[in-house]
Amino acid sequence: MARSTGKDAQALFHSLRSAYAATPTNLKIIDLYVVFAVSTAFIQVAYMAFVGSFPFNSFLSGVLSCIGTAVLAVCLRIQVNKENKEFKLKLESIYRHKVLSGISADAERDLPAERAFADFVLCNLVLHLVIINFLG
Amino acid sequence: MAAAETFHGKTLRNAFGNVFSFFILILIGVLAFSIRLFSVIKYESVIHEFDPYFNYRVTQFLTKSGIYDFWNWFDDRTWYPLGRVIGGTVYPGLTLTAGTIWWFLNSLNVPLSVETVCVFTAPIFSAFASWATYLLTKEVKGTGAGLTAAALLAMVPSYISRSVAGSYDNEAVAIFALIFTFYLYIKTLNTGSLFYATLNAIAYFYMVCSWGGYTFIINLIPMHVLLCIVTGRYSSRLYIAYAPLVVLGTLLAALVPVVGFNAVMTSEHFASFLVFIIIHVVALVYYIKGVLSAKMFKVAVTLILSLGLIVCFAVMAVLIALVASSPTKGWSGRSLSLLDPTYASKYIPIIASVSEHQPPTWPSYFMDINVLAFLVPAGIIACFAPLSDASSFVVLYIVTSVYFSGVMVRLMLVLAPAACILSGIALSEAFEVFTRSIKFQLPGASVKPQVDAGETSSGSAIPENDVSKTDKTEDTLKERPARKNRKKDKEPVAVEKPSIKSKIEKRLLVLPLEASILAIFLLVLLGAFYVVHCVWAAAEAYSAPSIVLTSHSHDGLHVFDDFREAYAWLSHNTEVDDKVASWWDYGYQTTAMANRTVIVDNNTWNNTHIATVGTAMSSPEKAAWEIFNSLDVKYVLVVFGGLVGYPSDDINKFLWMVRIGGGVFPHIKEPDYLRDGQYRIDSQATPTMLNCLMYKLSYYRFVETDGKGFDRVRRTEIGKKYFKLTHFEEVFTTHHWMVRIYKLKPPKNRIRGKTKKSKSKSSGISPKRSGAGKKNPWH
Amino acid sequence: MQRLLVFLTAISLIPLLCNSFSPENPTDRRLLVLLDDFSLKSTHSIFFQSLKSRGFDLDFKLADDPKLSLQRYGQYLYDGLILFSPTTESFGGSLNLGAVLDFVDSGHDLILAADASPSDLIRNVATEFGVDFDEDSSAVVIDHTNYAVSETEGDHTLIASDNFIQSDVILGKTKIEAPVLFKGVAHSLNAANSLVLNVLSASPSAYSSNPIFKSSRPPSLTGSAISLVSVVQARNNARILISGSLDLFSNRLFSSVVQKAGSSHKYKKSGNKQYVTELSKWVFHERGHLKAVNIRHHKIGETDEPAVYRIKDDLDFSVEIYEWSGKSWEPYVANDIQVQFYMMSPYVLKTLITDQKGLYYTSFKVPDIYGVFQFKVEYQKLGYTTLSLSKQIPVRPFKHNEYERFITTAFPYYGASFTTMAGFFIFSFIFLYNKSQ
Repeated sequence: MARSTGKDAQALFHSLRSAYAATPTNLKIIDLYVVFAVSTAFIQVAYMAFVGSFPFNSFLSGVLSCIGTAVLAVCLRIQVNKENKEFKLKLESIYRHKVLSGISADAERDLPAERAFADFVLCNLVLHLVIINFLG
Repeated sequence: MAAAETFHGKTLRNAFGNVFSFFILILIGVLAFSIRLFSVIKYESVIHEFDPYFNYRVTQFLTKSGIYDFWNWFDDRTWYPLGRVIGGTVYPGLTLTAGTIWWFLNSLNVPLSVETVCVFTAPIFSAFASWATYLLTKEVKGTGAGLTAAALLAMVPSYISRSVAGSYDNEAVAIFALIFTFYLYIKTLNTGSLFYATLNAIAYFYMVCSWGGYTFIINLIPMHVLLCIVTGRYSSRLYIAYAPLVVLGTLLAALVPVVGFNAVMTSEHFASFLVFIIIHVVALVYYIKGVLSAKMFKVAVTLILSLGLIVCFAVMAVLIALVASSPTKGWSGRSLSLLDPTYASKYIPIIASVSEHQPPTWPSYFMDINVLAFLVPAGIIACFAPLSDASSFVVLYIVTSVYFSGVMVRLMLVLAPAACILSGIALSEAFEVFTRSIKFQLPGASVKPQVDAGETSSGSAIPENDVSKTDKTEDTLKERPARKNRKKDKEPVAVEKPSIKSKIEKRLLVLPLEASILAIFLLVLLGAFYVVHCVWAAAEAYSAPSIVLTSHSHDGLHVFDDFREAYAWLSHNTEVDDKVASWWDYGYQTTAMANRTVIVDNNTWNNTHIATVGTAMSSPEKAAWEIFNSLDVKYVLVVFGGLVGYPSDDINKFLWMVRIGGGVFPHIKEPDYLRDGQYRIDSQATPTMLNCLMYKLSYYRFVETDGKGFDRVRRTEIGKKYFKLTHFEEVFTTHHWMVRIYKLKPPKNRIRGKTKKSKSKSSGISPKRSGAGKKNPWH
Repeated sequence: MQRLLVFLTAISLIPLLCNSFSPENPTDRRLLVLLDDFSLKSTHSIFFQSLKSRGFDLDFKLADDPKLSLQRYGQYLYDGLILFSPTTESFGGSLNLGAVLDFVDSGHDLILAADASPSDLIRNVATEFGVDFDEDSSAVVIDHTNYAVSETEGDHTLIASDNFIQSDVILGKTKIEAPVLFKGVAHSLNAANSLVLNVLSASPSAYSSNPIFKSSRPPSLTGSAISLVSVVQARNNARILISGSLDLFSNRLFSSVVQKAGSSHKYKKSGNKQYVTELSKWVFHERGHLKAVNIRHHKIGETDEPAVYRIKDDLDFSVEIYEWSGKSWEPYVANDIQVQFYMMSPYVLKTLITDQKGLYYTSFKVPDIYGVFQFKVEYQKLGYTTLSLSKQIPVRPFKHNEYERFITTAFPYYGASFTTMAGFFIFSFIFLYNKSQ
C-alpha cells in the first residue's frame, strides 16, 4: 500500500514536472516573481515570530506588500495565459450573458495583454503607494 | 438591403435610446435631490437631530484649521475631564467630503457657508447613489432594470429618512459608497479586469472612511465568493475580483485611524481571510486539474487530502482557541448584538437603550419600503432566470439585509438599495413581458414571435447570435455595431421589423393582449401609489429637524424653538470654561451650539462616565451635588416635556438612566423607582423616585403653571408638588418649560451648630423666622 | 477762607478712602462695638485702648440703639463687629441675626462675648457658627480643682486655665506664661465641624452648672468637652472669636494676680491681656492671612504659558505666596505646600520648593495620560487662611508626526517593502522585453 502510494507520488511529481515544463517562458517569469514575493513574506513572518510584533504597522505593510504583489502577479498570469478559455471569445453562455446584461462583449472578449499589463501596473502603483504610507 | 436599412434604424434607435436614458438619469438625480428638500422648505436650512451636530462641529474645525490639525485634534470640551481624541475615533469620510466640497466651492469664489454645504451634502449624494444603483443594476440585468431601480431608490422612504437636507450623518455618503463598491465588484466579476479591481478597492476605502457598516461589505463579498465556489461557478474572474480586494482593502482599511489594526485583528474581518485562503486552494486545485490528466489528478487528490486534512485541523484548532479565549470571541459589542439580538439587552444597556437599535415592527417595513416589499420576491425569481454571478450576488445581498434589518431598525437603510434593485429587475421584466405581448399582438404586426434566448429590452428584439454557423459571419458583422448602440428604451414603442431572421430556439412568453394592457395599467398604478407614498413620507414623516418642533392648533402654527433658546442662553450667560452636565443625548448639541464643555455626549464610548451621570440624576440632591462637584460641573440641563406634551423628555428616559447607572453602581436599584413594577411619578410613586434629582429638577415650581401640576405626557398630576431645592438653584427655564437649566450652589460659608433655633418673643428675630423652616443639610 | 474750607474738607475725606478694607490691605480698620451699657467702655478700657493703639477706629454704640446700621446703600460702614452685649434680646435699628450673618458671609470679622445668662439672640448667633452654648441659661463654668484663688469669690467660678491651643499663628510666638482668668458660660463644639477651633478649653474637672442652687440633673457639659473660647474661620476666610466670658476682656482680670488652686506660685499678672491681644490680632487678620499670586506654568525652556500640553512634556510650575504682617506683605515661608496635577484624582503630587522670598516652584513630567488636568494647590494649615487654587490645562496625546521616525526593529520590513518595489520594477522590464513566443 505504501509502496503503491510512493510510486503514485513519484508518478504524480513526474507528470507535474513535465506539465509545468510545457508552460511558456513569460508565465514562468511570473511564477518566479510570485515565488520571490511569497518567500519574502515568509522571511518577514519568521522575523516577527522571533522579534515580536512591535511596529505592527510596519510588519503588516511589509507582509501585505509581498502578498499583494504575489496576488497581482497571479492575476496577471491568469489574464495573460493564452490557454485560459475565459478570456477568449465564443464561450457561449458567457458571451450571451454579457450581451444581455448590456456589456459590450468586445471590451473584454479578448483582453489584450497590453491592457492586462497596464491594469497590473496601475494596481501595483496603488499598492505601493499605500504601503509607503502605512509603513512609517 | 433590408438588413442595412434595419441596421441603420437600429443605430438610430440605439442613439435615441442613449440620449433618452441620459436625460432620464439626470431627471432621477434631480428628483432624488428635490424630494429631500421638504425640511428646508417647511422649516429652515438647519442641521437636524443630534449626531449631525457633532459632524458639523468637526467640519467647522476642519475648514478652520486644516487637515493636519483635524487629524491630530484632541477635543477637551467633551467627556470632561477625559477629553476625546477626535482624530482617532471618528469616521472621517463624511467630514472630509463636505470639507472638500466647501474648499472647492470657495476656491471658485462661491461663498457658501459650511452649514449650507453640510445641510445639502446628503441630497447631493443621494443623487449619486441613485446613479450608482443604475450602474449596478445595469451590470446585473440591463439598462431598463437599471433605470427603474434608480428611480425607485431616489424615492424610497427608508433612504430619505437618513438623508434629508439637514441630516448630515455618515449614512448620507455611506450608502452611495456601499452601492458604488458593489457596482465595481460586480463589474470586476463580469469583466475580469484588474482596473476595476483597483477601483473597487479604492471605493471600499471610501466606504471604510465613511461608516462603521463597512463590515457588511467585507463579510458579504466573501460569502458570495464562497457561494460561487460551492455552487461550482468558480472562475478566474472571481479570483481577480476577490483576491486583490482583500489585500488592498485590508491595507486601506488599516490606514483609517478608527479601524487601524482592527482590520486584521477582529472577528469581523476573519471571514474575508478565511475565504482568501479557500479561494487560493480552489484556484490551485483548478490549475492542477487543468494541467494533469484525470488519473494523475485522482492520485494527487488522495495524497493531498490525507496530508492536508491533518494540517488543516491543526490550524483550525489553534485559530478557534485564539478566538475563543477572548471574552467576546473577538467581535465588537455592536456586531454581537446584530448576530444575537438579545445580547445587548442582557449585557450592554447603552446599546439597548438607543431607539434606533430596536427591532422594527411590521408596519415599519411597509412604511419604509412600501410597494417594494411585494416586488422583491418577484425580483428574486427574475434573478434566477438565468442565474449569473451578479444576480446571485444580489440575491445574497437581499437575503442578508432582510435578516439584519429584522434585528435593528436602523439597518432598514441597508435593505433599501437591495429592495430597489430587485424591484427594479422585477418591474422591468414584467414590463418587458407585457409590452412584448402587446407588440406581437397589435393589429398590423407582420411578424411572428421572434426568438430571443433570454430576456430582451422591451420594444424590440436585439438580434441574437446562435450556434448556427451559416449565419455566423453575416450576423457578426451586423451585430457588432448594433450591440455597440445598446437600446435603453424601456417604454413601449411601435412595432419594429426584426432585422435578422434567426432560428427559433425557444418560444417566448406572450400573454393575451387585453390582459397585458390591463397589467401594464395596474403596474403603472402601483408605481403611482409608490410615488405618492414616498412624497408623503418625505414631506410629513421624515422631514422634521427635531430641534425645532411645530404643532398646529386652532390659532395657527405654533413653533417650539426651546432647544436653541436654551443653548443660546448658555452661550451668552455662562463663562467659557463652565461645565454643563446633562443626559448624553444632548451632548453634541450643547458643544456645537452652546459651545460649552459637557460631561458625556452621544458618542457613548465610556460607559462608566455615563453611569456616573445617570447615578447623579437618580440620587437625592446632596449625593447628586457631591458627584457633580467632583466633576467640576457648574450647570445641569434637564429636558422636560410635561407642560407641552413633548414625549421624548428626560423623565421618560429616566429608567434608562437608572439601569445604566445601576449597571456600574450597585446601590442604584431599578425596583426602588417602580411601584409594583410600574413607573409612576404621581402620588403613588416611591419615595426614592420623588426624592431623586431628576424628579426635582423636572418638576420644580411646576405646580405654579396650572395650580395642579398636571403632566401632559404622563397624564397625571405629579406626586410631590411643593418643594424647595437646597443644593441647586434654577437659573433658566425656556418659554415652554422644555429645557430647564440649574446651577450648583457653592458650599455654605459656615457650618451650623447642633442647637435648634430657639423661638424668641422679640420682633427682631421674626424676619429670620421665615427662613427657620428651612432645614440645613450641611452637616 | 473758602479755599481753606474746601481744602480741609478734602483732607478730611482722604482718611475715609484709606480706611476701607481691601484685599491689598486686609487688616480691618473700622470696628463697630455694641455694648449693653456704656460702662463697659471704662471697665474694658485697656482692651479698647490696645485696639485703638493698633490703628483701629472704634465706634461705640448701645446694642439697642435705634439708629444702628451696618451698611448704607449696599456699602458696609464697618470692617469688623464686636458684640459685647450678652444680654441684649434684639438689636436696634436695621441690625438683626440675618444682618450679622450676612456681614460675616461677606468677609468681615466678628468678636462675640457671652456672659452668664446670654440672651437667645446671642445664642443663635453663636449657633450659626457652630458653637453651642449651654442650654441652661443659668449655668456657668465651675471648676473645683483649677479655679483661681481669690479673696472675693469662693464659688470656684473664676477659672484659671492654661489649656491653650498650640499655634503660633493664633496666639503669637511669645509663650503666655500666666494662666488666663475666665468667668462665664460654657459652650461646646461639634466634633464634625471642621471650621471651628477650640483656643481655650477647660480642664477635665470643669462642669457647667448653676452655682447657687443645686441642680436636679447632672450637668450636660463636663470636662474637656467644655470650650471656653473658640474661633471659627469660615470658608471665605472671615474670622469669628466666640468667648463665653465678657470679663475675659475686662481691666479687672487683665491686672489681677493669678494663683491657681493647689499651687503656690503667684503670677503678678494674668495672661489675659497678652492672650486677648494676640487673639484679636489673629481675628482681625494681622497674622495668618495668606495670598497667592502669579500662578504660572510653562514648558521647561520656554517662558510663555502654553494653551495645551502634550503627554510626557516637562514643565515648571510656580506660585508666589505672601503673608500679611499687619502693615505689609511679607514672603511666606513654609515647606509643606504641595501642588497636585489632578484629573479626578491626583496623578502627580509634589511639595513646592521655596526660595525664602515667597516664590514656590517645582517641575515635573506630565503623566502618560491625556485629558483635561488641573494644577491644584489646596493648603489648609491651622490658623492660616485656606488657599484653594486651581488652573485648568488640557493635555493632548502625541501627534501623528511626533513618534519615532524610523524604528530599528522595523528595518527588515522597510527592506522587504522596498525590495518588493524594486522587484516589481525589474520584473516589469523583464516581462515586457522578454522575447519568447
